Amino acid sequence: MDPFLLEALLNGVLLGGVFALPALGLNLVFGVVDVVWLCYAELVMIGMYAVWFLYTQAGWPLALACAACLPIVAGLGLALHWLVVRPLLTAPPINQVLATGGVLFVLQGAATLVFKTDFRSLGVDMPPMELGDVFISGTKLIAFCAALVGAACLWAFLKFTYVGTAIRAIARDREVMPLMGVDPKRIYLIASGVGGTLAGLAACLLVVQLDVHPFVGLSFGPITFMICVMGGLGNMLGGFIAAFMMGLIISIGGFYGSTELSYVIAFGFFILMMFIRPQGLFAR
Amino acid sequence: MTGGNITRRGLVQAGAGAALVASVPASVRSQSGPLRVGVMTDLSGPFAGAGSQPLFWGAEVAIALFNERGGVNGRQVQIVSADSQSRAEVAINEAERLLGQEQLEVVTGIYSSAHAVPLSGRFEQAKKIMWITSAIATGVLKDKNLRYVFRPTVHSDQYAAASVNFIHEHAQARLGMAPDKVRLAVIYEDGPYGSGVAAGLDAEAKAKNMPIVMKEAYSATAPDLSTMVTKLRRERADIILHVGYNPDITLFLRQAKSGGLRFKALIGHGAGYSQIDKLSETFGADVNHFCNVDPAATQMLDWSKLGAGVGDLARTFMQRYQAKHQSNDPPTHASMGFGNTWTFLEYVLKPAVTKTGGMTADALREAALQVDVPVGGTIQGNGVKFAHPGTPMSGQNERSVAVVMQFDNGKSKVVWPTAIGVPPVLPLPAGHTYAAR
Repeated sequence: MDPFLLEALLNGVLLGGVFALPALGLNLVFGVVDVVWLCYAELVMIGMYAVWFLYTQAGWPLALACAACLPIVAGLGLALHWLVVRPLLTAPPINQVLATGGVLFVLQGAATLVFKTDFRSLGVDMPPMELGDVFISGTKLIAFCAALVGAACLWAFLKFTYVGTAIRAIARDREVMPLMGVDPKRIYLIASGVGGTLAGLAACLLVVQLDVHPFVGLSFGPITFMICVMGGLGNMLGGFIAAFMMGLIISIGGFYGSTELSYVIAFGFFILMMFIRPQGLFAR
Repeated sequence: MTGGNITRRGLVQAGAGAALVASVPASVRSQSGPLRVGVMTDLSGPFAGAGSQPLFWGAEVAIALFNERGGVNGRQVQIVSADSQSRAEVAINEAERLLGQEQLEVVTGIYSSAHAVPLSGRFEQAKKIMWITSAIATGVLKDKNLRYVFRPTVHSDQYAAASVNFIHEHAQARLGMAPDKVRLAVIYEDGPYGSGVAAGLDAEAKAKNMPIVMKEAYSATAPDLSTMVTKLRRERADIILHVGYNPDITLFLRQAKSGGLRFKALIGHGAGYSQIDKLSETFGADVNHFCNVDPAATQMLDWSKLGAGVGDLARTFMQRYQAKHQSNDPPTHASMGFGNTWTFLEYVLKPAVTKTGGMTADALREAALQVDVPVGGTIQGNGVKFAHPGTPMSGQNERSVAVVMQFDNGKSKVVWPTAIGVPPVLPLPAGHTYAAR
């Protein structure tokens, strides 16, 4: 096999891992609360700043900075739900979208005020793995493994805990579950906290790959939404698989065509899928 | 209205006053009071950190210094700033505000070519002056026969000519290769800036019979460029010619390193590559000996060789800029912001206002077409003379100069044109992170 093609394939898989985590978080929140957090990528951005600040400015070890990032962004997720989403739970969907869209600009503006527009870098570098002519980025590989572990933990939480079961049940039927004794408001809050935690984990994985700046969300935010819709909004497994599909389409499209063309193919595929299966590829 | 309270009557009075001011024709208002000049740059969004903010800061220093030196016969210049937020639609809206509500006769700045292209048509239509201090795409002016748009800085074809000529000149002696054996790869962001420079690189390389083994565009906000890195490795490019903003440049360099990409030289073309302080902070010695094409930042020049008084002007600018912004090696954009704004103030605004007593776009246009600053007459070493309407590049400064510079431990040094530069380090020395092995 052409080693460069193999490398492009591996790049695609690793890229899928990068997309998968925020897609999981976004899908979880939508599946349970039924509100799209348009500002999800900006929560990740705040998490990236948190890691950058704790590691480069406060001098914390990187692992500790990453560990602290999770509760910080989880707290942000809780605050977002409590202050913005909860009062709008019965409002028309457009109001909810506009409200979380407004938070997007607030977070971008706040980051610009506090951190200015400079591009911040952790300066962390890991040697690549060389397998003959194939190079695999060490940073990406670690991020990919961490994303898989994160996804596995989420699956175990949803599958084997009482709260996880309640979350899945609410996602399945929002009307009936309250009649069976589940407090939806509490579950919404927990799901928002878990969604925030996943955004925090995504921040930890992205901050070693991308520079942090107030608009870094533009790099992966739109494609994350696309992945969620393609996999079926609210369908976590669908979003997870769609993330890898998108990573591979971009990578292989770029290999045989061009980087620009690869995104055209990816978006074209998305549009086609919306015609064929508007409910999402993996919607039940 | 009393104290801090705003009454309905006060509001009505204030509104009436504002309406009265707005109803006075600009030609009458421009006879007295401050001279209002628009400065539109990207103070937020990705372009801010890729040179647009230093562009604004440079202009700020120029206007403050100009005012300190008496302005125009005692009349001070007042900045009306606009943040185009790195978005073309915002730039268009802000231009409408500056032209409509603010009733400005001139707007300076404009960092991005993606903004300059739509704005130039609007300013031409409104018959107001657009004074571009940064956006470089040749297509902004070429064959448009614009009469109210002026660009004192370089255009993208000059970038292409500089980098290809630089490699062509040094191929045999330093790379040990005939020029037609040097494998060039062109990667560029897909906006007017990147596309403009890439088209120029393509044409220049063909004219010099140098092979381009790969030419590829990408979006500046792309989250991943690793497949492009894989292809560059496959094509065994000797020289990477990169046209990017930021953060795409840092993403590319990071993924190139982890993707095992090695080359003999990398030449950037302004924008993100001119932010040497930031690149050094992120990559340290890894960016040593990378090259960059842009107009020279003033600190790279021998000020004693500039025109009378220009060296002192450059020194004053540097002192003020560095004191305020703590920059080790201020980016070219700072010099462009200062120098190109100073050219406007000194050689266009001052004579126009002195001659007509007012500040109308037509008076400014007439003055701009008369500008004749010899080489060495600006802090970046270039002269200024604009191509007149009826010529293919109407509005372009025909005496603008692009140089090739090379990074050397956090500082940039001019290496081309050879006559004014120091000898370059080519190829990247053994042991360099990106050096071909």
